[in-house]
Amino acid sequence: MSVLTANTRRDLEIQRFPLLLYALVPLVSLVLQAWLPRVLGRYAFFDLPLIVTVYFALGRRSPIQGTVMGVVLGIFEDALTHHAIGINGIAKTVVGFLAASTGVRIDVENRAIRILLIFLLSLVSSAVYIFVYRVLLGLNLDTNWLAELYKALGNSAIAAVFFPLLDRFQVRD
Amino acid sequence: MESFIVRYRNLLVLLVLLAVQIVGLAVQVHRSGSGQMSLDPRDSGGVRLIRLWANALVSPPEQLIHSSRNGIVGVWQNYIDLRHVRRQNKDLTQTIDRLRLEQAALLEDARQGERLQALLHFQEKYIYKTLAAEVIGSSGSQQSHVVYIDKGEDDGLHRDMAVITPDGIVGKIREVYPHTAQVLMINDQTSGAGVILETTRIRGILRGNANGQPEVVGILSDNRIQPGEHVLTAGGDLIFPRGLPVGTVEKVVQDPDRDAFIDIILKPAARLNSLDEVLVITSTEPHFPPDEKQDMAESRAVDGAVVAAAQAEKKASEVQEERLPSLMVPNLPPDQQPLNDSTPPNPIAKQPPQPLHPDQFSPSTFTGSEPAAPQTAPQTAAPQPKAKKPKPKTGPSAASTANPPRRNP
Repeated sequence: MSVLTANTRRDLEIQRFPLLLYALVPLVSLVLQAWLPRVLGRYAFFDLPLIVTVYFALGRRSPIQGTVMGVVLGIFEDALTHHAIGINGIAKTVVGFLAASTGVRIDVENRAIRILLIFLLSLVSSAVYIFVYRVLLGLNLDTNWLAELYKALGNSAIAAVFFPLLDRFQVRD
Repeated sequence: MESFIVRYRNLLVLLVLLAVQIVGLAVQVHRSGSGQMSLDPRDSGGVRLIRLWANALVSPPEQLIHSSRNGIVGVWQNYIDLRHVRRQNKDLTQTIDRLRLEQAALLEDARQGERLQALLHFQEKYIYKTLAAEVIGSSGSQQSHVVYIDKGEDDGLHRDMAVITPDGIVGKIREVYPHTAQVLMINDQTSGAGVILETTRIRGILRGNANGQPEVVGILSDNRIQPGEHVLTAGGDLIFPRGLPVGTVEKVVQDPDRDAFIDIILKPAARLNSLDEVLVITSTEPHFPPDEKQDMAESRAVDGAVVAAAQAEKKASEVQEERLPSLMVPNLPPDQQPLNDSTPPNPIAKQPPQPLHPDQFSPSTFTGSEPAAPQTAPQTAAPQPKAKKPKPKTGPSAASTANPPRRNP
């Protein structure tokens, strides 16, 4: 139970990064998200902007910053598709808010928790996306839930490598 | 009030941002005539601006990565693979020779096709002007099957131009930016193209399904449709020219919404998941290389000469026909036409005409019994029973016997 509560001083620390990283990592995630499916084809089961959103939201522990990060990355993702702008934006907004809100309450330094969190938030993002598309907009969209599950697993696998890598860039006092 | 805002500021920010985005979404969709909601195919000014920014932000690094990858691959192929270049060169030379022969045959078919096309007044063209482009990126979303190519408005591209590969169709251009363009692929759920099954000639609409596979929808159940059948573009959508390969039938499944209908899952002819280079059809006017143009012009000239000769011959025969007496008299009824008359036109001709100046060679004297009396009016003379038909004389002997010496009776 101790791993699920942020009861130590270290857990409540806000992670800080170089300013350049806040701009560069989201941009790289967008570029790779657009480019890698060309190489991997139909096996591109991941969402790098979502991983970045969750990582910074968890690290900053600020729901507002997590929400804004989700809005920006989601809208840019939408802009690269041919769908309406805002569908991914809403999904990532919710995910950023939830991740930051959760990060205040749990020990986000635990690797297993972070991976589990990214898996669940991926499914939440897919569910919000489909809800907005089909219910709010009333558009037709056939859904392959197996693909969404694979994407959640892919995000978890990438996060397992990506989170420790980014942790190295933290600015410690 | 201030404490309320401070206390719930996180939630308020979330709600405000969500509300703004929902309003933004609401202005991007509209209700169609059939009552269904649909996205506006043409983006409004604000939406296009956001897409332009995103494209300007993402495309340059994508192009950089793409060109770097191509450079590395090029170095590998140019250096490492040089070991096999001689053998490849030999193989390629043989291939070129074979292709030249095939090209000659195909060119002849093209000429024939062009002649038939002109003959039947077809407006559709079979050879097009294309622009090669490289795929530099994708949308990155499983729900949006679009790719970005490295040619845009500056290269003369426009919306709704067809994008193909030598293997088959890829999609159509949905959005054009100054240096890039967005291509909506045929396996997207919002795409649409008219297709026809090659053997059964069944027509349908092509779109993508949730798994990213192209499928033909809206087809009545038909047992003739079998896996492996080729599917071609029907040409009715004004985007894809007719007859381009789309794919082959992979399987036939029941339409989940309508019992009497089936959906045909296709295996796309083009490799949609690993596209490198594509061709954008920029013009539907016929376009031949210069040497083939010259060849076709010569072919046309030869064909024109043959046709002119045939026409001249026909005209000459018509003139000749007018000069010759006709067997058909316009003023007579059909049963009295000379052609149908069995009686000889000249009754006197029943008997051979008598010679004007009989001699030893005359038919009446040829028998050697007694010489015939001289005749002055053969038309009125009585027929000679033993008279023989005179043989025509030709050549020098005929000239020498034209005026034979008169015999003394």
